[in-house]
Amino acid sequence: MGYLRQMGAIVWKDVVVEFRTRERIAAMGGFTVLVGILFNYAIDPTVVEPQGIAAGLIWMTIIFGGMLGLGRTFSLEEEEGAFQGILLSPIARDAIYLGKVVANFLILTVVTALVFGVFALFFGLSFGNHPVALAGVVLLGILGFVAIGTLFSAISSGTSMGDTLLPILVFPLMIPVIIYGVTATTTLFAGLPVTEVDGNIRMLGAFATVSVFSGAVLFRYVVEE
Amino acid sequence: MSSRIRWSGAVLGVLGIATTLVLHWMVFFWVPTERTMGVVQRIFYIHVPAAWVAFMAFGIVAICSAMYLWLKDERLDMAAASAAEGGMLFTTIVLLTGPLWGRVAWGTWWTWEPRLTLTLLLWFIYLGYFLVRSSTENPQRGKRFAAVVGIVGALDIPLIHISVQWFRSLHPAPVVMRPDGPSLHPDMLATLFVGLGASTLVFFSFFLFRYGLERMEQALAHREMVAEAAPRPEGVTS
Repeated sequence: MGYLRQMGAIVWKDVVVEFRTRERIAAMGGFTVLVGILFNYAIDPTVVEPQGIAAGLIWMTIIFGGMLGLGRTFSLEEEEGAFQGILLSPIARDAIYLGKVVANFLILTVVTALVFGVFALFFGLSFGNHPVALAGVVLLGILGFVAIGTLFSAISSGTSMGDTLLPILVFPLMIPVIIYGVTATTTLFAGLPVTEVDGNIRMLGAFATVSVFSGAVLFRYVVEE
Repeated sequence: MSSRIRWSGAVLGVLGIATTLVLHWMVFFWVPTERTMGVVQRIFYIHVPAAWVAFMAFGIVAICSAMYLWLKDERLDMAAASAAEGGMLFTTIVLLTGPLWGRVAWGTWWTWEPRLTLTLLLWFIYLGYFLVRSSTENPQRGKRFAAVVGIVGALDIPLIHISVQWFRSLHPAPVVMRPDGPSLHPDMLATLFVGLGASTLVFFSFFLFRYGLERMEQALAHREMVAEAAPRPEGVTS
């Protein structure tokens, strides 16, 4: 089986499982809608203009909501030693990791679209007039987040602390995603030209590349028995 | 072997303590007072060397971790863990002395100064390193997990550094004092170098003691295992 087919098999399996159970999408989707409701009461719209802080709220909601789903990346396989089966199959370790990253990325993309929709509806936001650049910023940002989160999810699910450990491992490394993601999103929301966020997109791309690459190399040491 | 490690640790420790005493004499009695910041600037000679050691230690953690994953030599993991412990200590010193100085120099306990922020994040990466290490039932697994955390942290530190630097240039803080320019008074520079020497010596002394302790623990565990496996002599019950 070719490398891409192996990877594709993992992606397909995870997406189909998610599509059938809707476990993680439901948890993350419910979380994001509820956070939107809570933000409405936590922030006094007569004092703070929602449009001005929307980018930060959206990104924090994606990160927090994403942690819920990422923490459960390997929870299904932990039951009845299913992960041993995957490890025993003739699939390269890095293909397993990359497959998991792609599946998580697809799931988180759906959740992110939901976050944008819900926040636009609740707070009457305007997303500026550069949808392609905005999508580029958001997708590169969550790719970096997912790459780190998937690797550390494999670690945290192997510890006795489980999911509670995940934010402590992931959040310190999310600084570049938050800084470049939020500033670029704010800039685009304000309708400023795309050239303003060129540097941000490059940095988000660099972070995603480093994260995916280091995860692919290091994953085999995490799952080694 | 382990006695040689302990002896080296002791020698470095004595040198480190001696240099630290000299440093304190220089800081309190010898070095001229900085003109704009006054006496509080003298924290600089503790703070900067501690930061240097904290980041150097993290470099050692990353290199030893990567080599551990590659060569599977237990000694490399012990070295990484020992460096991480020393590094966390010095990171804590940086985080305690920074705000003390900042309160006077910047007029606030905490500011999102890039290097201070980076050090705080480094502290949390060290915390993750130890939590991962201590929360696995299988110690071998914990060592590999910790090594991965150490390597990913070290790869991300430059990106975090660039981003907090960039964010700062975007949002200048209200009360900012220029970091000391290159034109440092020669006496101040000398004191700083003594400080760097002192903290480096103290760090490597800690490191060697900690490493020697790990080696002794391992040897003890090994001896216990052998004793259990060996058949007991006739008539001896325990």
